Amino acid sequence: MLRGVDLDLPAHTLIRIEGANGTGKSTLLRLLAGIDSPTEGRITGRRPRTAYVPERFSAALPFTAAGYLVHLGRIHGLRTPEAADRARSWLDRFGAAGHARTPLPELSKGTSQKVAVAQALLAEPELLILDEAWTGLDTAARDELDRAVAERVAAGATVVFVDHDPRRLAGSADAVFRIEGNGLCAASGAPAAKTGPRVRIAAAGPPGAAIPAGLPGAPEHAPAADGGVLFTVAATHSDALLHALLTARPPWHIRQLAAAPGIEQDPGTDGPPHRSPTPEAP
Amino acid sequence: MTALLRYQTALLVRSQRWLAPVLLYAAFVGVGVQWGQPVLDSLGYAAAGLLPVTAWLVQLCVSQEPPAARTVTAAVAGSPRAHLAPLLAGTGCGGLLGAAATLVVLLISKPNSTDNTVRVALLPAGIAGLLAAVCCVLLGAAVGALCTRPLLHRRGWSVAATVLTALLALVTGGSPANTAVTGLVTGSRTGTVHLPVLPFVAAAALAAAAAALACKLAALRG
Repeated sequence: MLRGVDLDLPAHTLIRIEGANGTGKSTLLRLLAGIDSPTEGRITGRRPRTAYVPERFSAALPFTAAGYLVHLGRIHGLRTPEAADRARSWLDRFGAAGHARTPLPELSKGTSQKVAVAQALLAEPELLILDEAWTGLDTAARDELDRAVAERVAAGATVVFVDHDPRRLAGSADAVFRIEGNGLCAASGAPAAKTGPRVRIAAAGPPGAAIPAGLPGAPEHAPAADGGVLFTVAATHSDALLHALLTARPPWHIRQLAAAPGIEQDPGTDGPPHRSPTPEAP
Repeated sequence: MTALLRYQTALLVRSQRWLAPVLLYAAFVGVGVQWGQPVLDSLGYAAAGLLPVTAWLVQLCVSQEPPAARTVTAAVAGSPRAHLAPLLAGTGCGGLLGAAATLVVLLISKPNSTDNTVRVALLPAGIAGLLAAVCCVLLGAAVGALCTRPLLHRRGWSVAATVLTALLALVTGGSPANTAVTGLVTGSRTGTVHLPVLPFVAAAALAAAAAALACKLAALRG
């Protein structure tokens, strides 16, 4: 049972919910997804276009993987050809294109989970709820899901997730909440320590242009020696950041891409704050 | 809603669980409706059988999605709409069955009263038969919606409650289904066609209320 939960879901945010087993993480996610209604209190605001990925999706439905995705795409409001097209490309992204014509009951647990994830991503939802969606996925698919989540956040969606791995999307979460007792409180140390691989992007904007606001992954940036800007961002956000820079108006020019040195930082001594005054050599 | 209905109907058709109720109804009509029997009698008999069969079909539709898949569709469409879709799919299936049965009865029956003295016009008889069938389908849908998830979660209770309520809805005097069916059967004696308009309105109201309750509870009790 949960009580006194006060949670705001702004756009462009990645929210992590933590808590011990049985404290009500899944219940909270189901409330947020609009699957259940609260017996007391209410959820305000327009209902966003929502997608939900359950923890275990071994659905014995009489459809093929692609057939199920097309049905779900249509329920999301897509037209049939568009739904079929996106179903194919998302299955492909998660390495399950070969199973598009396999009936759902014959899929392995991991591939079923890929179908569940594809179902949620194919309609580009405004609110994406992931209840341990990474469980059962292979490493490549997990990384792909990390990137897909970063893309959704960059595109303006709100993503709320629960995962047993504390390093999952660490450094990317904009807010971390912890369920304690019956309530929800902001977790200490949020946003989480910046561990995990990071990418350094050397870019140059048009003369006199300011750094675009609201870049994905809130990259650290410092002026580079050649007059450009050096962005450092969590690897999960690098694709989304590149996309944002290249499609900015006026667009930015990418000069160099490299893995950032000093991957592991001690969580106790947090890295340099944003707008570091001393330029770093690449 | 169209996409949800399409999804639920595809689930029902592909799962082949519709076979049992449809075959049962076919057997019921096959045994009771013979070539050359008075048309109004046979229409009443065919309509009465639709009530329990629609209740069964609606329950099949409501429970055909595994819980994980149900949460996924409920998140996309909202729980009430996600619950309304299977109710409509089951009711639509019952309606199709009723339309087919009414057509068959009209084709093979004799357009006379029971004692063969009065001729019965086929068109009004057909309309009355269709309306009676719709009454029974709607009441069956209401019974089906109330005797399963989210109101009754246990399968055993659900089956027992459905059988009992469907039987009561058929035999209790004053229930829309009972009024519509007895209207046809008693009309057959004198060769007069009673259009069951009032029972139709009552059945529609009952079905809408049952669906509204079930859809509202779907978000609260799963």
